[in-house]
Amino acid sequence: MLLRQFIKNSSNPPLTPPKEGKLPPFGRVGVGQTSNFKTMKKELNIIGKSHQKLDGKERVSGKAVYGHDIELPNMLHGSILRAKYPCAEIISIDTSKALTLEGVECIITANDVDVNNIGYKRDHPILKKGTVNCNRDEIAAVAAQTKEIADKAIQLIEVKYKIKEGVYDPFEALKETAPRINEFGKGAEQFGNKNVAEYFHYEHGNLAEQKAKSKVIVKKRYELPRVTHACMATSNITAEFNNFDGRLTLWSSTQVPFLYQRDIAHALKMEPSKIRVIQPIIGGGFGSKLDMHPFEPICVLLAKKSGKPVQILYSREEEFLASPTRQPMVIDLTTGCDENGKFTFREVEIIKDNGAYTSWGATTPFVMMQSYSSLYQVPACKFDSHAVYTNNPFAGSFRGYGNPQATFSIESNIDLMAEELGMDKREIRLINANYKGEITGQGLHFKTCGAIPALKTVIEKSNYDKIMAAPNTGRYKRGVGLGSMLHVGGGAKIYRSDGCGTTLKLDDYGYLTIVTGSNEIGQGSETVLAMIAMEELGIPKEKIKVINTDTDVKPWDVGVHASRTSFVAGNSLLGAIKLIKEKLNNKASQLLNVKTNEWEYKDGSMLFNGQEIKLDKVAREMHFASPHELCTVNYFYEPPSRFQDKDFKGDVSGNYAFASQAIEVEVDTVTGNVQVLNVHVSQDVGRVLNPIGLQGQMEGGLATGIGYALTEEMIYEKGILKNPSFHGYKMLTSTDMPDVHFYPIETYDEAGPYGSKGAGEAPLIPTAAAIANAVSNALGVRFYSLPITAEKVLRALSEKKLETRNSKQETNKI
Amino acid sequence: MIITFKINGEIKTQEIKSSLLLIDLIRDVLRLKGTKPGCLEGECGACSVIVNGAAINSCMYLAINVDGKEVTTIEGLGNNENPLHQVQEKMLENGAVQCGFCTSGMVMTTKAYSDKCIAEGITPTREEVKKSLEGNLCRCTGYAKIIDAAEAVYKK
Amino acid sequence: MNFEVISPKTTPELLNAIYDNQTENFRIGAGFTDLINQFKTQETEGLILINLTQLKDDNFKLIIENKTNFQIGALTTASEIIDNKSIKENFPVLYQAASKLASTQIRNVATVGGNICNVSPSGDMTAALIALKATCHIIDCDGNERKELLSSFIRGLKKTSLTKKEIIKNITIPKNAGQNLKSGFEKVGSRKSMEISIVSLAYHLQLTNDGIITHAGVACGAVAPTIPFTTSACEFLIEKNINTISENDKEEFAIKVLEYANPISDIRASDWYRKEVLFNVSKTIFGK
Repeated sequence: MLLRQFIKNSSNPPLTPPKEGKLPPFGRVGVGQTSNFKTMKKELNIIGKSHQKLDGKERVSGKAVYGHDIELPNMLHGSILRAKYPCAEIISIDTSKALTLEGVECIITANDVDVNNIGYKRDHPILKKGTVNCNRDEIAAVAAQTKEIADKAIQLIEVKYKIKEGVYDPFEALKETAPRINEFGKGAEQFGNKNVAEYFHYEHGNLAEQKAKSKVIVKKRYELPRVTHACMATSNITAEFNNFDGRLTLWSSTQVPFLYQRDIAHALKMEPSKIRVIQPIIGGGFGSKLDMHPFEPICVLLAKKSGKPVQILYSREEEFLASPTRQPMVIDLTTGCDENGKFTFREVEIIKDNGAYTSWGATTPFVMMQSYSSLYQVPACKFDSHAVYTNNPFAGSFRGYGNPQATFSIESNIDLMAEELGMDKREIRLINANYKGEITGQGLHFKTCGAIPALKTVIEKSNYDKIMAAPNTGRYKRGVGLGSMLHVGGGAKIYRSDGCGTTLKLDDYGYLTIVTGSNEIGQGSETVLAMIAMEELGIPKEKIKVINTDTDVKPWDVGVHASRTSFVAGNSLLGAIKLIKEKLNNKASQLLNVKTNEWEYKDGSMLFNGQEIKLDKVAREMHFASPHELCTVNYFYEPPSRFQDKDFKGDVSGNYAFASQAIEVEVDTVTGNVQVLNVHVSQDVGRVLNPIGLQGQMEGGLATGIGYALTEEMIYEKGILKNPSFHGYKMLTSTDMPDVHFYPIETYDEAGPYGSKGAGEAPLIPTAAAIANAVSNALGVRFYSLPITAEKVLRALSEKKLETRNSKQETNKI
Repeated sequence: MIITFKINGEIKTQEIKSSLLLIDLIRDVLRLKGTKPGCLEGECGACSVIVNGAAINSCMYLAINVDGKEVTTIEGLGNNENPLHQVQEKMLENGAVQCGFCTSGMVMTTKAYSDKCIAEGITPTREEVKKSLEGNLCRCTGYAKIIDAAEAVYKK
Repeated sequence: MNFEVISPKTTPELLNAIYDNQTENFRIGAGFTDLINQFKTQETEGLILINLTQLKDDNFKLIIENKTNFQIGALTTASEIIDNKSIKENFPVLYQAASKLASTQIRNVATVGGNICNVSPSGDMTAALIALKATCHIIDCDGNERKELLSSFIRGLKKTSLTKKEIIKNITIPKNAGQNLKSGFEKVGSRKSMEISIVSLAYHLQLTNDGIITHAGVACGAVAPTIPFTTSACEFLIEKNINTISENDKEEFAIKVLEYANPISDIRASDWYRKEVLFNVSKTIFGK
């Protein structure tokens, strides 16, 4: 049974999960042991059943206030002048004409401001002077009474450039003869090459020994394109600076407000606590709002200089030009297996196009190396990754964080090894898949592991055998491909704390306010938190408020990333609930003169042994009667994960998510178009918390993953983006979306709330890999670069006589 | 230029610049912020509103051309007794809303299409429902739940 | 954007507006799905827009069945084309072209006349109309009228025979000789919706009861500066039987279509791809 059906016939999940290897008769596959999950009740009424989005009514009625909808008294509109050339020297900037335009309030350039560089490597000036290094570069900014005037003023700023020959290929940038691209880069001192922005090395096992053991060795180069988040709401910020006390209020769509507060403070040389970050409703994140970008401190600088609130809204074109992207990269992957198909080693060298400046995107190897080292059992692994400066725009973080790229290469190589060995592509995966209890070469400890059940499920559900056996002649050729993934499921310890704080307040009327450090960016975290409170405290949804948008109010949290929110914020809330229950239990016991801690919370009341008292009554007695205290608690949760050592070894996450996808495609040999017909996805989510929300994450992630595989690409020519519009950048439309069949695997991981694991990024990670394998299966031609466009397909077909689908020979390389 | 039109059931006379776009009339002049600017070039459908029964992109429509016409925005659905229109109810029930920025447009397109289907006595197929939404981009949901929601409207 | 707008309600008002502004910089707009985007990226100060949206004249707006032809008003929207039963029955190629155009929201405002006068090599309805051997009926502000075959009305990339005094009133399509048709519109793009054709092939074949092709109209979009009517390919098909047409003949037909292709390479596709796919698609229109 699919989750869709499950949602409809939702019943309580089984209390005792079935034993490993046995599929229950419905879609939720339970694996592993039961144990005493934190504060888990014996019977769950709320968790595991679908709940509508907490503030869904506001969002569906147009009443939700996004950054675009904010209007403050006397507010000005900002606009940014960007570099005309991707690589040039600025000779002069003349703002005099622009300043005379009626309605212009102020203009700033690098010469007017006292600021620090920004970015993960502090190699990025907010406003550029001297040189420009990419076509996003911010040269000047205007604040004016209307957006139109600001845009017009920008055009009146005269900049004289001396155009320079840029470097747009990272391999060129690595050459000794290449110019130094980023003057703040420390590549020469740190990594022995002036244009290396960041370098990661990892290894485990004895590579030489494992190579010697290998019967088959496959070495391939994979090329991954630049794609972008394409959030439906463009980037936006509104800044108001109070010059009486030096306090700054930002309405920002950041997904990491506390790191952002610190970053803004550093950039503008302010005290972090003077900055209040308020998040309006955020129109899509997907990782794009993990870094702070230059337009944000620029908006503050305009507000400071003009003395009025300033708002900057990107146009769609600017969103494409100037918001982050996924890292493009070239991956050289060598893998081996012995005569039985057991994997022996993986050796990988990656060159990433860092672009002109360094963002969090440069740290994606941190995630990628986990997939190379620990997705499947691999006795030896060596990983090297260089992020190289070029005059292209810089990449950022994007849902999956390097993992779609890594997984594409791994799963393609697995197919190739199976073909060379003459082994079934299912079998080779099953015998190498990871299992519960494994501590991988990198030190990741899989206390629960749904890898094998997920793989078995998609193989069974996808009619794999039937598709493989079907005749494959005629115009439309069908194929099926497999892809699996590993991703952190319980946060990722990369910052000093990976924790989240929660404050709970039960008021005199029995309403519960959850003040959480975590953020809602559309993914549904508020809803899950409300569900947990409903479950544990028996308070109806209507009486629960979630406060999560204001750094002046909410406790600390790292932010939305690493699929961590339900895990970390959920555990934090459970911790707070435990504390508030202790308070309530004591008070109720005192009021009713019983001695117990076994109160049951139901329908707004506390029950014990036939006695009942309303929650609001208990709260009021606590408040109004001696010794007069509020029914509030604070709790901070820090996951059990550990920092990795300097060799990147260690158990970095609270738990790990596993997933497999089997994707069926149909290739039109007339046009070369690939259509995805069916996606079967099975994912170890630990436990399903909100089925409808989870399924939404699956479908949304898949749509982005399919776009990555087939249609999406930012096309650059010499550092200039050629398709900065929804028209030129081909996101999937409703008519392109295939049927999605989702089979959650429940492994009940001890670390997660109710046994759950992070789930948000996973659905797009193995998608391109599975699609590439399916296309290869359909055509007998393999594609080593994404996206697999119709043109690439047709070119391959025209160059190659079609072979039968089970051919072992790869005769063509694209 | 002075235009007279009906918006969300209310007749309005408004002086506007002749080159004003409908989306700017709605968002900036009338301050109805539920209509969303997603691309301002007719590609994403976030700004869809209904003019005389037909869904259109308000970013590509001159405001003067609503003179004498009836405009419905997201704020015009529902009323005091029933704050949400059936299309909106179905979107919520089916989990069709994530970040919500595309939602107004999705709702308006679906409303216009469902009105047309009811008028013509048609129950559209799932493929037809998908096609009716082809002009509305969404990055969060992968469309599946939005299509489910729209289908549920027709199935009644 | 900052331009003046004239919104004629009647044809005389329209012609006066054109007449009065002969020395001015004016543009004529109907659905605005292309024009607004152009205006956003250019200086519009001093520009005069003649806005046809409020024009009330059936000759511009309706689909009318005459004795020998169907008349389609220049202001007919793509949605109106789709909803018209006669069009769907008689000219599937036009119905399909209109259906595959952009999105509902665009189709609700985009007009046939606009699609023609935008003179894009990838204009879908224009390609269908060229395959249907449509004729443009043009009036000017001095009261003159003239007719011109659509395929010759379009003179080159972004060029038509229309003078500054003229405007298209409507388009006529000759009626089919019989009821047996093989008519359709193949649109090639990288996704299923919201595409501008990378290549399109509009074909309208009329057949005897036995499947003998008696009339053929085939036009291909996005493969040349204009949308060519593939005369020699069409002539080749006459008297062939669609039910028994050989693979060789299909191939020869495709080769003849390809002779009209002189595509460019751009970010959407290379010239190679456009030719290859045009050749491939041409072979498929016979079915089976």
